[in-house]
Amino acid sequence: MIGLNGTLSIAAEALGADTAGLEVANNNIANANTPGYSRQIVSLSSAASVQNGTTVDEGVSYEGFSSVRDAVLSLAVNDATSSQGSLTAQSTLLTQVNAAFSSTTSGVGASLSTLFSDLSGLSTDPSDSSARQTVLQDANQLVSQFHQAASGLSSAASAANQQVSACVSEINGLTRQIADLNGQLASSADGSQDGGSLQDQRDALTTRLAQLVGVASIQTQGSPTLTAANGSPLVIGSTSYPLQVTTGSDGNVHVQDAEGNDITGALSGGTLGGVITVRDSTLPGISAQLNSLASQFATAMNNAQASGYDLNGTAGSAMFSLPAAGSAASGISVALTNASAIAISSDGSTDSSGNLQAFLSVQSDALPNGATPAEGYANLVGDIGSAGSQVSNQLTAATASLQQLTTQQDSESGVSIDEETTNLIRYQQAYAAAAKVISTVNDLYTTLMNINLGGG
Amino acid sequence: MRVDPNISAILNTGIQNTQQSLNTSVEQLASGQRVALPSDDPAAAAANLESLATSANVDRYTRNGDAVLSQIQMADSALSSVIGELNQAVTLGVQGADGSMNSADRASIATQVQSILSGVVSQANTTFNGISLFAGTAGVANAFVADSSSANGYTYQGNSTINAATIGSNLQISVNIPGDQIFVNPNGNVLGSLQQLVTALNSGTTSEIGAAVAEVNTAIANVSQQRVIYAGTVKQIESQESFLSQESVSLTAQQQSLTGIDLATAVTNMTQAQIAHSAVLAAAAKVLPTSLLDYLK
Repeated sequence: MIGLNGTLSIAAEALGADTAGLEVANNNIANANTPGYSRQIVSLSSAASVQNGTTVDEGVSYEGFSSVRDAVLSLAVNDATSSQGSLTAQSTLLTQVNAAFSSTTSGVGASLSTLFSDLSGLSTDPSDSSARQTVLQDANQLVSQFHQAASGLSSAASAANQQVSACVSEINGLTRQIADLNGQLASSADGSQDGGSLQDQRDALTTRLAQLVGVASIQTQGSPTLTAANGSPLVIGSTSYPLQVTTGSDGNVHVQDAEGNDITGALSGGTLGGVITVRDSTLPGISAQLNSLASQFATAMNNAQASGYDLNGTAGSAMFSLPAAGSAASGISVALTNASAIAISSDGSTDSSGNLQAFLSVQSDALPNGATPAEGYANLVGDIGSAGSQVSNQLTAATASLQQLTTQQDSESGVSIDEETTNLIRYQQAYAAAAKVISTVNDLYTTLMNINLGGG
Repeated sequence: MRVDPNISAILNTGIQNTQQSLNTSVEQLASGQRVALPSDDPAAAAANLESLATSANVDRYTRNGDAVLSQIQMADSALSSVIGELNQAVTLGVQGADGSMNSADRASIATQVQSILSGVVSQANTTFNGISLFAGTAGVANAFVADSSSANGYTYQGNSTINAATIGSNLQISVNIPGDQIFVNPNGNVLGSLQQLVTALNSGTTSEIGAAVAEVNTAIANVSQQRVIYAGTVKQIESQESFLSQESVSLTAQQQSLTGIDLATAVTNMTQAQIAHSAVLAAAAKVLPTSLLDYLK
């Protein structure tokens, strides 16, 4: 047998549950544009009661609210964010390098052509001092183009170094915030419950962290752990482990974990990983190619000089000098100071151009690296271009895949205004209905109270 | 399945993508270049650099050819006037060999031949841009200087080296003939025979004059033979230059096709990008403002 009091309390529970539903919908609408916010839903259940065939279920039970999120999907999003971040950083640096090698009218290639062209022009008038002066100027021009190409590469490397430092300090800020949030989450929930918007914040920070460096995340009871790709800890529970930067013996900025181990080579993914990849593997390859071109070209030209005689009839001396150590392209210089020292003569006579062929075969014959100087430079530019286009193609693919995953995550966790509007109407109507129940019960009580037992 | 409610993110990506292709196509049209950075097309960028290097060579070969051509034409015209003067000397010599001539007449003819000799020597000392054309590679001001101790009356100052000019990737041509080969060649000695004629006219017999005239004729044959070498070189340069100008045209075409745009394709691309961009914008304008709230009034 159920009484009016029971009905009244069911209606009161319903009012509470509907209010909770309205609140959650309200909160969802308020956070519709908050980055990282996962929509929340109310948990309601039919209140348990003893089923004895005569009683009805005892109303609704409000069991709190929870965020809708897919942990596996967030891991996938973080991974995709890491690789997209890495490729974006690589693409930015390589575009910078590509721009330094994009000119077809200046640069090492054009200067090589000019030098050989003006050398070959000496064949018609070997003793012409202005033509010789032009050749000497061409050689100086070529040397400065080599310097410029080398500095194009080294400025990309120093930009990379700055980025490494900036990334590391941002990573340390993020890991500290994540560790703080872990502490708050641990004290507010027992770990089995959903963390609500605190967890949303932590997830957003983790995604930002993944954009900077590839992270692995291990969810353990009570102390969620984040590590770098090689396993160096970044956050364990409420403790963060800051990375450090030092300048290595190679002049580059290196990254150390909290214990001082050099983990530069072990980092992958994210802006930091991408920058390190370009700085430590792409750029050194290109530099080596440029340096070998500069040094082999200089040696070949010096050999050509040595096989001839200058305008004064003395045996030719070296045209270029190379640095004893370090980058040939940035250290190469013109050794000749006087245009008359260009060794065009094959026998010492002033108007002889017999040794010119030795210079011209430097242009047409392969250097020890297997290509003529012009081919060598074209290959170098081709390689720089390939590195850039490869990364930019990968970036397009990675961006598309990140976009897809984000869409998937949004379809799970994103707030839909239309849906919340519908919910508002639903809870509003339910609230009105529950209120109606209360007013009905009130009427019933009134009716009951007004029964005139004595008659009359 | 629930769909992504955040339609603005999807639209933003779409707008950015179409904007990007529109920008790229406009950039290409504006610059006329398909490859702005090596990474746009690495293979084409590398091939273009090699092609440009070849172009620079072709330009230089052409300029070398032009320079050699004027030098050789100058030398050839000098030799041509030498032959004219030698022929005149032969005519004078034949006159002088005539038995009716007295010694005074012969002496006056000898003076004329002497002046022919001076003329020939000045032709032999022709310079071009400061280079003595018939002095080999010695770099002296005059190839021949007067020297009374020499049998020819003149000494050769030059050497016998021949310079070569590059007018093709593997093509070199000789730009000079050493003066000793032309003017004091044992098989036709220009200066020697004229000197001999002067001496014979001044003090020799009719038969000695006749012998000297024969020597001058041999010298004419020798100089004509040397001119053939120049003529051959001129021909070679001219045919090489016409080849080079063709090559230059085809190299320019190659560079254009490697890194330049095809106008029709570029315009089509731009139109397509424009249409795609407008379509995305139109879609955004239609979809973005729509919400359930619009209908709950």
